[in-house]
Amino acid sequence: MNGNKTYYVCKYTPIELLAAFGAECANLNSMPEGFDLADQIAHPNLCGFGKALLEAVMQGQVKELILVNCCDTIRSVYDVLEDSGRLDFLYMIDALHCDSVCSRERMAAQLKGLARAYSEYSGREFDEQRFRAAFVPPEREKGPHLSVMGARMGAQLFQLVQEAMPLPVENDSCVHNRSVGELPPPEEPSVSLGTRTDGAGETGGPLERTGWADSFAFGKLMEWYAGELLGQIPCMRMTDNTGRKRLYNDPTLRGIIYHTVKFCDFYSFEYAELKDHANLPLLKIESDYTVQSSGQLLTRLEAFAESIAPEQNTEKEKKMGKGYFAGIDSGSTSTDVVILDKDRNMVTGIILPTGAGAAMGAERALEEALREAGLQREDIDAMVTTGYGRGAIQDGDKSITEITCHARGAHFLDPEVRTVVDIGGQDSKVIRLDENGAVVNFVMNDKCAAGTGRFLEMMARTMEMDLDQMSVTGLTYDEDITISSMCTVFAESEVVSLIAQNKATDDIVHGLNKAVASKTASLAKRVRGEDKYMMTGGVSKNQGLVKTLEEKLGTKLVISDKAQLCGALGAALFAADMVV
Amino acid sequence: MQAAELLGNYVERFGADHPERGRWILKTGWEIQDLRYRVFPEKQLMPADRYLARMMMDSMLKPLQKPESSVIVSVFTPCELMQEVGLNPYNVECFSSYISASYAERSCLQQAENNGISETLCSYHKTFIGAAEKGLLPKPRCVVYTNLTCDANLVTFRHLAQLYDVPSFAIDVPMQQNQENVEYVEGQLRDLAAFLEKCTGKTIDEEKLKDRLRRSKRTLENYEKFQQLRADRYVPSDLVTPMFAGLANNVLLGTREQEIYTEKLLRDVKNTRPASGKRIYWMHTIPFWSDAVKDALSLRTDAQIVGCEMAEFTKSDFDPEKPYEAMARMMVYNSINGSALRRIQRGIENAKRARADGAVWFCHWGCKHTLGGAQLAKKKFEEQGIPLLILDGDGCDRSHGGEGQTSTRLGAFLEMIQSREEDLSAGSRLA
Repeated sequence: MNGNKTYYVCKYTPIELLAAFGAECANLNSMPEGFDLADQIAHPNLCGFGKALLEAVMQGQVKELILVNCCDTIRSVYDVLEDSGRLDFLYMIDALHCDSVCSRERMAAQLKGLARAYSEYSGREFDEQRFRAAFVPPEREKGPHLSVMGARMGAQLFQLVQEAMPLPVENDSCVHNRSVGELPPPEEPSVSLGTRTDGAGETGGPLERTGWADSFAFGKLMEWYAGELLGQIPCMRMTDNTGRKRLYNDPTLRGIIYHTVKFCDFYSFEYAELKDHANLPLLKIESDYTVQSSGQLLTRLEAFAESIAPEQNTEKEKKMGKGYFAGIDSGSTSTDVVILDKDRNMVTGIILPTGAGAAMGAERALEEALREAGLQREDIDAMVTTGYGRGAIQDGDKSITEITCHARGAHFLDPEVRTVVDIGGQDSKVIRLDENGAVVNFVMNDKCAAGTGRFLEMMARTMEMDLDQMSVTGLTYDEDITISSMCTVFAESEVVSLIAQNKATDDIVHGLNKAVASKTASLAKRVRGEDKYMMTGGVSKNQGLVKTLEEKLGTKLVISDKAQLCGALGAALFAADMVV
Repeated sequence: MQAAELLGNYVERFGADHPERGRWILKTGWEIQDLRYRVFPEKQLMPADRYLARMMMDSMLKPLQKPESSVIVSVFTPCELMQEVGLNPYNVECFSSYISASYAERSCLQQAENNGISETLCSYHKTFIGAAEKGLLPKPRCVVYTNLTCDANLVTFRHLAQLYDVPSFAIDVPMQQNQENVEYVEGQLRDLAAFLEKCTGKTIDEEKLKDRLRRSKRTLENYEKFQQLRADRYVPSDLVTPMFAGLANNVLLGTREQEIYTEKLLRDVKNTRPASGKRIYWMHTIPFWSDAVKDALSLRTDAQIVGCEMAEFTKSDFDPEKPYEAMARMMVYNSINGSALRRIQRGIENAKRARADGAVWFCHWGCKHTLGGAQLAKKKFEEQGIPLLILDGDGCDRSHGGEGQTSTRLGAFLEMIQSREEDLSAGSRLA
């Protein structure tokens, strides 16, 4: 960031007007490492972008900032920053929420107010030529492309998306779909620029531009400009946002990555509608606007890319040797290896704890699998890695996300399966597949541990039992206890207080199973899960949870004896595809 | 299991596949509660506040009993126009609180989240959306809302209007306080009157509307006077009464019933005993369901809530002879419109008027305006000598509880006020 720039955050910001005063405007869009300073002066539950703004200013990276009353968070950020006195120039534009004639008048008044304030601050006057020159038609992707929509996406995350996707990506989120500039300002009314004082030519020397602020022509120009600003593709804060359909009715659009920011609620409403009506591949991701959150989204992005261009998973690259194929699923808790023969029969399946490092865990599990199968490393013609640790394993020929692999594995085990529920150690996911085993849609839980295997592990520890004991506890219960806290930490204290109240262990465990099952059923509903359901992953061994989840979903779950190996099996099948 | 919990269980169980049945159970449960308020009122409360509990229950029952005469409104929407055309307004905050009091909020919240609505959305709104999507809420005649402060208003009400396929009207309120903005809103309120006339086939008589605004003014003046008088008195209070007072001062402002309530307040306050115990002014909504807050502040003599911001967002300084301008002014000059400093300033004034010893800034889950202004409020209140506790929680959704933490924070805060008072009095003795 550059302290000499005038930063803005919203597409309704009149950047052409600021340019007319010589301001160099830039969209403040960088994601910070964390929110240490912001949390001190505001509240942790503000939207991540608001906190990113506070962080940037408090770190001294920004000196001029123009805000728009986009939302409660931005209004709060303005209040906090104004009180901090850290900025040379801070201004809030009270942009209206509709595009009526009256609203344009009010907006024009706001523009004039900003022009006066910025002129006074900078000591510069309105330059009509600069104003006109600032109108540059925005460029858009014309060929087949994907689009990021929803709440604003930070620069680092957008770069990650671009790198992960098989097609060009347009950033149509929030501030990025600004369309002012499509039309240049009308020649009439022109603005009276006052008289020259130095006799210099039209383009050289300083001009004394007096009286512009109150001139009729400037007023008319601002009225036109207000219409241009308010007439853009509306954002979700606008009363009438039907114009947003333009964003997803583009015939060259091939898929949508829908982005929301944690604690920004506007866009979840559009997503709720879009997920039922968009006839395009759709991925929903949420970030908290930190660089770290971007990294955690990589699996989802890669799985989406795989579902858009599935042919990339089945490229033939290898020559057939001894006809053995391996798949390694490196999860947070266990590392699983499956070896198939040339007829795609499972030769062996191994499950070992991952331990401290993904690479070492994978090596150990592979050695064990080879030993059990009586094979050598060179007998394996192709190997595909999957799971969280897939990137850390150097040995594989290709790495594919666990989402695509689980779908493939589940389809192999039972071709009638259309929905896969996988509750893993650190995340849970629900995957919808088609009749060929390809991913149609998927959803994963957020960063929070609630609803994952780790949640159950922690609760088991609190109740001083192991997971095997927990699995058969709560199958029958007397009291229907509801664990209301979704937060793992609070849920733990709820369990402690239930223990203190002498509640029966079966009843508490049933309550915990219900909490996880509700979360999972909610994910299943989001992807419109349908029969048959298969449950994979280690948690599928938990009988109590399976029973509760079946009740919540209103259907039976298929649980294969190879449920835990499903990801590795899918990976091994992809490995087999690679061999000619 | 308590009766309310049982009601929630029944609504959840029987309403899952048959919304009409769920609605009937909810309505019947509330009718029983209404009856209970009449026969077995909370005797510790003043008669005025017992009247308030019944009045609020009645107003919540109306949309279930006569949905065709009801209108869903956002908080801060002036309701006088709706009352003039015979519509019963009810808002998200009221209705969701009652759903939560009936232990039926969990399945509503889950319903909204299943549909993709953000988990971080205000839980009053999320509960309401879930209840609407589940069919627990009948179809209203229309929807009227404003963008005033609360972001969720913008999206929730548009969503509800689409869901029910009913006409809707949005009032755009600019955030700066000036006459031009009052006129801008006034123009929209005139359009709203035409919209309501079209929706109902009734005509709004401006003279009657003036009468109604005169009543609104008298009501607000009475309430301001009551808050002034309670400064020296001990007025018994539970957690719902200050909330009810706030909600009634919005949806029922302009009705004779609400005016009667404030008249009763002025009468009853004379019969109370002199002030005692620690006095807390509450900013934002109150988590009435929380045992931790109940234990610390409900119907206690050593500590109690002496006022809630919700009841004092609008002032009585408008001219009822210009009814549209008056309503527009109430919106533009609402203490929560614009900079957080205005809200904080008004909070400080109100807390001082009620002679509060301390204030709680309740960071209700999802309310970004409140969350964002929290540290600023702490600084400003304390500069004015009013200790302020920033308390995280949820007014509606029990799952955002953390009761242990709430109890510790609130308890420690009350102890801190106590020792501060002791220090002050020791200091004055020394002096």
